[in-house]
Amino acid sequence: MASADSETRPQEAIPQAVKIIIAGGFGAGKTTLVASVSEITPLSTEEVMTEASYGVDDTGGVEQKTTTTVALDFGRITINDDVVLYLFGTPGQDRFWFMWDELAEGALGAVVLADTRRLDTCFHAVDFFERRGVPFVVAVNRFEGSTVYREEEVREALDVSAEVPVVLADARERESCKEVLVELVTHVIRGRNPVMSG
Amino acid sequence: MRTDGVHGRGAAASALPEEVFRRSEPDARSHDEEFGQERFLRPFAVTAGDPDAHAVLGPESSGLDMLSLVVAARVPGRHEWLRPERGAILGHALRARTVVELAAEVRLPVGQVRGIVAAMVADGSLQRCGPSRSLGRQDILHAVLVGLRSL
Repeated sequence: MASADSETRPQEAIPQAVKIIIAGGFGAGKTTLVASVSEITPLSTEEVMTEASYGVDDTGGVEQKTTTTVALDFGRITINDDVVLYLFGTPGQDRFWFMWDELAEGALGAVVLADTRRLDTCFHAVDFFERRGVPFVVAVNRFEGSTVYREEEVREALDVSAEVPVVLADARERESCKEVLVELVTHVIRGRNPVMSG
Repeated sequence: MRTDGVHGRGAAASALPEEVFRRSEPDARSHDEEFGQERFLRPFAVTAGDPDAHAVLGPESSGLDMLSLVVAARVPGRHEWLRPERGAILGHALRARTVVELAAEVRLPVGQVRGIVAAMVADGSLQRCGPSRSLGRQDILHAVLVGLRSL
């Protein structure tokens, strides 16, 4: 057991924690991608949101606050002694946008997973990262039975700028997910986005 | 879908006055064990009705984000039986842990854990810790690139 040992070693190396966001529509394969590359079984936590629900529930004109919780899944990759990378899957439903700002804050970059059967479900994610200046790549998740589109077709449909990489991926395949993340980090290093400096 | 399962629960929690939660804590605990995933959310009991804890729930006021690292500055004490969440956090933070990992381990919403952690940092139970080596953004990116390629 290492527990007694760790108590006597207060000088244990503490890594820098960094994150990459995995975004996309509901059911696009975000959790699958995180699970494919994470060194741990993806962990899950929740966030509580409070929202004014007037107009949603008929409470006779009385404004009421309700709280709801949203699951947040994340995985981890130990890069080396100095850096640990966390992968956060965004909550898929649009009504959980309130979490995206905190998730995106300080992120190295983002992967937008696109499902070609429902391409419109990732429009919001593309829009969000463009507006925030968070560098991202689009990974087209290949689902069985879905029409195979070429990279240019997806790029045109999503209307992303030419410098944003669009790659084909299989969220179930570790190698494929690894390539997507490598593509993203390469893109970030190449891009020198003003938001990411400093 | 898990989010559906917890939806009504959170709504129920907000509909009741906070006094109810503080008084009914032992019952709520037994429900935890009984229902597993369907445990009852006790946002006010968890922060001990502490208004300060609510004030620090947001990242902007606590200075903590999901990836802030903390480590236990003391061992769980006898008084922790009243605040089992704090005891559990101390138990999990023997080594430096991120706020979001602690939240997953003690199975509480990350916003609440951030509030509790902030209060525990303030009272000296936990210490914030920065990375041993401070790396620039470009160094981090290159390290991540090399690390990912060698996975």
